[in-house]
Amino acid sequence: MIEGAAAFVAWLGASLVVLSDGRRGLSAGVAVAAVGLAGVAFEVSGPIAAASLLAGGLCAAALRWRSGPPGWKVMPPGSTGWLILCIASAIFGLWIAAAVMTGQGGGLRFAALVTVVMMGARILSARGGAAGLSAAATVALAIALAGALSPQAPGFEIYLAGAAVAVLITFVASEKTDAA
Amino acid sequence: MQPEAAVLLVGAAGSLVFAVVFGPARQPGILLLRGGVGLVAMALIAVAPDLDTALLVVLALAVLQGAIELNRGLAVRLRAPVFAISLVALALVLDRASGPAVLHRFAAVGIAAGLAAIVGLLPFMHEFDPAEAVSASPIGWMAFAGPIVAAVLVLDSRRLFTPDTDAVFAAILIGLGLLNALWGSVSAWVTEDGTAAWRYAFMSDWGLVLCGFGLTVADGQSAALLMLLSIVVCRLPLYLMSRPALREKTTTDRPVNLVVAAVLSGSAPFVGFAARVLLFRGATELFWPLGLVLAVSMLLWLPGSLRLGRTLGQPRGRQLVGIAIVLAVNTALGLYPLPVLSLAGT
Repeated sequence: MIEGAAAFVAWLGASLVVLSDGRRGLSAGVAVAAVGLAGVAFEVSGPIAAASLLAGGLCAAALRWRSGPPGWKVMPPGSTGWLILCIASAIFGLWIAAAVMTGQGGGLRFAALVTVVMMGARILSARGGAAGLSAAATVALAIALAGALSPQAPGFEIYLAGAAVAVLITFVASEKTDAA
Repeated sequence: MQPEAAVLLVGAAGSLVFAVVFGPARQPGILLLRGGVGLVAMALIAVAPDLDTALLVVLALAVLQGAIELNRGLAVRLRAPVFAISLVALALVLDRASGPAVLHRFAAVGIAAGLAAIVGLLPFMHEFDPAEAVSASPIGWMAFAGPIVAAVLVLDSRRLFTPDTDAVFAAILIGLGLLNALWGSVSAWVTEDGTAAWRYAFMSDWGLVLCGFGLTVADGQSAALLMLLSIVVCRLPLYLMSRPALREKTTTDRPVNLVVAAVLSGSAPFVGFAARVLLFRGATELFWPLGLVLAVSMLLWLPGSLRLGRTLGQPRGRQLVGIAIVLAVNTALGLYPLPVLSLAGT
């Protein structure tokens, strides 16, 4: 139950990243996605994995809060197509994760699938560096979570690596997004 | 660390040292710093315990490279590599989940498409600015980091695939390889801009690499490794040497230009020739019409290579010494590829 709810929160965060252009909207999206992904990680890999993802995601979100285009800019004009993409991704992802794929961990599969797909779409549409970097940071967190699907259950190192990359991505290029 | 990746890493390190010592870089210190960071990232990719960790390092490298120069805008520079990483990550999710076989086939499509997108091959060519520094341009992916990323991605993902999925993966690689080999070699010949011609030549070499990886016989894997090595230790250093003449748009027809054209076209006794022989043998062993198509496509290298050889200008002094070293290394690798292949375990 917690895994499913956390997966929904991850989708919500990814949707915010897709639908926002301002630094506050993007920051909130990364933070919400990190909370959702960490919730799923808590269920499948334990508290250290969840804490790593949460810390990395929140740090990346805090860095994003400080740089990028000002304001929230959630759903600016012309966002209808992206809203449809978010809803369609959720429906399609739910169908794939719950009906086409089999076995335990439906929430994990859904969270990893929709986050990666929506961030891939976001990077193609990003006009500014802040949006691109937010998408990249969220992809890093999702890749770390997707490692839990591996038959050789990964340790918490992959979560630490994902969190570190998410922070690094946002930190290294944070000053270069203001003009975007 | 995979032995293939180790061999390519040594080749990349050699190319970096070559570029700093003999290359025309105006700020060799900055080149060394950027290349050194790239080499560290490539080493981390090579020693990564799983594909997820390797993908995370590639992602970090993509952002670091994207932040070097912002002529094209950060979002534009991040677009291709981050999209590629998303594709591969999606493919890994599809491959690891239990379900119908079609999911695993989609995973094979995703990995092959992601590989093409990371390197910047058709149908996912990166945006290219001829005036950009090499370390910041898509050539960095095609000729420096791309070979190791490709080796790790292809060899690691093959371990995950079932025989059915592997067959799909091989077919896609061969298809993409032929497309890039033909498109790249013809475009290197007919395109107007000299720097773009070099970029298309890299693409055509990558076409043969993908074909080699797609051939599920030992000769194919050996050919792919040798082609990757030839990109790193032959085409990349020669491209760096040609940058000043490309900027000045000067072309010359001296003997050295013809020898360089022979190296670039994969003539004997250089390393490209050994790779082509192995590739041709592997293709004939697997499905002879494929060998025929490859043989025809290999002929298309000649006009483009003659053109690229002329763009080298009139090398003198240190530049001439550098070119002599490149030719010597390529001759040695072409005449004696077995030590390298045995080191790489192919």
